[in-house]
Amino acid sequence: MEIIDNLALGFGVALSPFNLLMCLVGVLLGTLIGVLPGVGPVATIAMLLPITFNLNPIAALIMLAGIYYGAQYGGSTTAILVNLPGESSSVVTCLDGYQMARRGRAGPALATAAIGSFFAGCVATLIVAMFAPPLAEIALKFGPSEYFSLMVLGLVAAVVLAHGSLMKAIAMVILGLLLGLVGTDVNSGVLRFAFGVSELADGIGFVTVAMGMFGLAEIVANLEQKGHREVFTSKVGKLMPSKEDWKRIWAPILRGTFLGSALGILPGGGALLASFGAYTLEKKVSKNAHEFGKGAIEGVAAPEAANNAGAQTSFIPLLTLGIPSNAVMALMIGAMMIQGIAPGPQVMTERPQLFWGMIASMWLGNLMLVVLNLPLIGMWIKLLTVPYRILYPSILVFMAIGVFSLSNNPFDVFLMALFGLLGYVCVKLECEPAPMILGFILGPLMEENLRRAMLLSRGDPLVFFQKPISASFLIVSIILLVIIALPNLRKKREQVFVAET
Amino acid sequence: MIIRNPKDFWAGLMFLAFGLAFILFAAGTPAFLDPVLGSLRAPGYQMGSAVRMGPAYFPVVLGGLMAILGAIILLRGFASHLTGEAVRVHLPFNIVDLAVGIGVFALLLKYGGNLMLSADNAMLVAALAVSALSIKFRPNAKPLVLILAGCLAFAYTLKPLGLIGATLLLVFIGAFGGHEFKWKEVGILYVVLIIFSVLVFVKGLTLPFAICPAVIEDLCRF
Repeated sequence: MEIIDNLALGFGVALSPFNLLMCLVGVLLGTLIGVLPGVGPVATIAMLLPITFNLNPIAALIMLAGIYYGAQYGGSTTAILVNLPGESSSVVTCLDGYQMARRGRAGPALATAAIGSFFAGCVATLIVAMFAPPLAEIALKFGPSEYFSLMVLGLVAAVVLAHGSLMKAIAMVILGLLLGLVGTDVNSGVLRFAFGVSELADGIGFVTVAMGMFGLAEIVANLEQKGHREVFTSKVGKLMPSKEDWKRIWAPILRGTFLGSALGILPGGGALLASFGAYTLEKKVSKNAHEFGKGAIEGVAAPEAANNAGAQTSFIPLLTLGIPSNAVMALMIGAMMIQGIAPGPQVMTERPQLFWGMIASMWLGNLMLVVLNLPLIGMWIKLLTVPYRILYPSILVFMAIGVFSLSNNPFDVFLMALFGLLGYVCVKLECEPAPMILGFILGPLMEENLRRAMLLSRGDPLVFFQKPISASFLIVSIILLVIIALPNLRKKREQVFVAET
Repeated sequence: MIIRNPKDFWAGLMFLAFGLAFILFAAGTPAFLDPVLGSLRAPGYQMGSAVRMGPAYFPVVLGGLMAILGAIILLRGFASHLTGEAVRVHLPFNIVDLAVGIGVFALLLKYGGNLMLSADNAMLVAALAVSALSIKFRPNAKPLVLILAGCLAFAYTLKPLGLIGATLLLVFIGAFGGHEFKWKEVGILYVVLIIFSVLVFVKGLTLPFAICPAVIEDLCRF
């Protein structure tokens, strides 16, 4: 069996003492930032990118990946105990997890989240190991038109999943695409939209945009809310779920895992989408649907399994196609490029140790998380009692230092502040920043592939529909857009988002 | 005409403006706008053809799409069936305030040299001036303005004042943007953060930051 050989190779790499340590550092850091509301994996990975210069590629990627899925574990703790999403994908866990905590069942809720996440992590690791190689093989045959259409599909998926107005989301994607074009044009060498600012010659840094749009804007939004937090610190009690609970959670965990894995692979997907999807599905199929929102344990198990599965399978498009499906994956691309690795289908054949080592580390990381986190829960709870007025100046300092260190230039921090303002205004006008970020990442790639495809087809735009793979991507995109634009479904989509937020 | 949905109206206006700006700067600004744009006047890039796309092709197409979408969203702002609290824009400043803020930055950057200010210091003074204006006239915008101003203060003082000075400004200005501001608490937080940052970022990760202000650098070499 080839897969077993490959996994053996991977475990050989991941089990080296230094890589194990890096994995542990990653998952602990991930849990920490997952627990703390207002610090997400995007900002953390962005801050840590400069550090990875000094590490070898495998250790760097293992650590960064650990932060992402570790954050999914940590986020649920805050959601259950404080009713705040410690991490955006645990928004839905708040609904039932917090209600369970209020009824004195915080312990089983926390344990269910951890067990669900662990199971999902194991399955998702296997799925990555099984599906990534064949996908990479297909991807090796992709030409520019296939890549372009795939990116269109990714952006459409991001739009469909955004909250609120469809048109605003499309406009945000385009804004992102345009901002991604700032800097030197690779084909002609012309400097675009730089306005004589020499710092813009290399384009706007992705880290700068992400920190501004997500980090700064979120701090300001948090400061404007004057709600107080109620922490159920002393009432965690018995951790293990009862026999009755086990009976209720195994099916939701299974469903959540598979739905999450599927949604994670989609470009534009990932942990956030997975948890929303799983909760909605569970609400439909569960016998205890009436309990949802009042502390149903299924409402914790399914989305927590799903978000962890989604977090891991979202590595598939990154590793096989070299296309990031969300902001965290874009940072992973940045980390790979720092190390001189061009992301894409060739990574698996040219650097099998990196590829399989990372996959094996995901399983090890999940094991560490479940073993460490349940006993450490007391420590995480203590962290939650740190007031936000202490927390946010610290975050500010780390963000400012991180962005400044990108090129040792104050201009990057200025840009971050500018994007902070833009992000804040966008949120207030109900324009979601997430689709914009995805557009920003894909902007230059899309232009490049569009140009190549059109050059190859001698200017015939129909080429995108003549190649079967490309055509199917585009047709799926169109179907998605049409479905979502139908008045009936639009209403339903709005209801879903209203109910869930 | 009454704006029924201000959120749509302003979002539409924003997208329309961004779309048009990208088209103008990619395709070249028309001659009659020269007096308004001044040094921002752009000759534009090559359009090329569908077969060989020039650097202007993709941005112009996208800018056009965004402008059209922006216009539709803007018009929808007049025809909305929603009213009341759901569509109120909760921004703590209006478009005039925004223009004033940008104006302060533009003026100081352009004429700062006449006041013996370097470009970095002009940025710093502008950030502090906007903060002062906000505290006096727009107290609701305080969190936003002070957080952003704190970042700018950090960025433009890091080289002359070192990590110790720049972090001091960032922590205190940033903390002042919150609800509760206690001198003692923020002071302790600052000390902890500076020790951590020096140990982790400068000593551990060897980021090339000065620790102390350039003036007294010799005093605190350790």
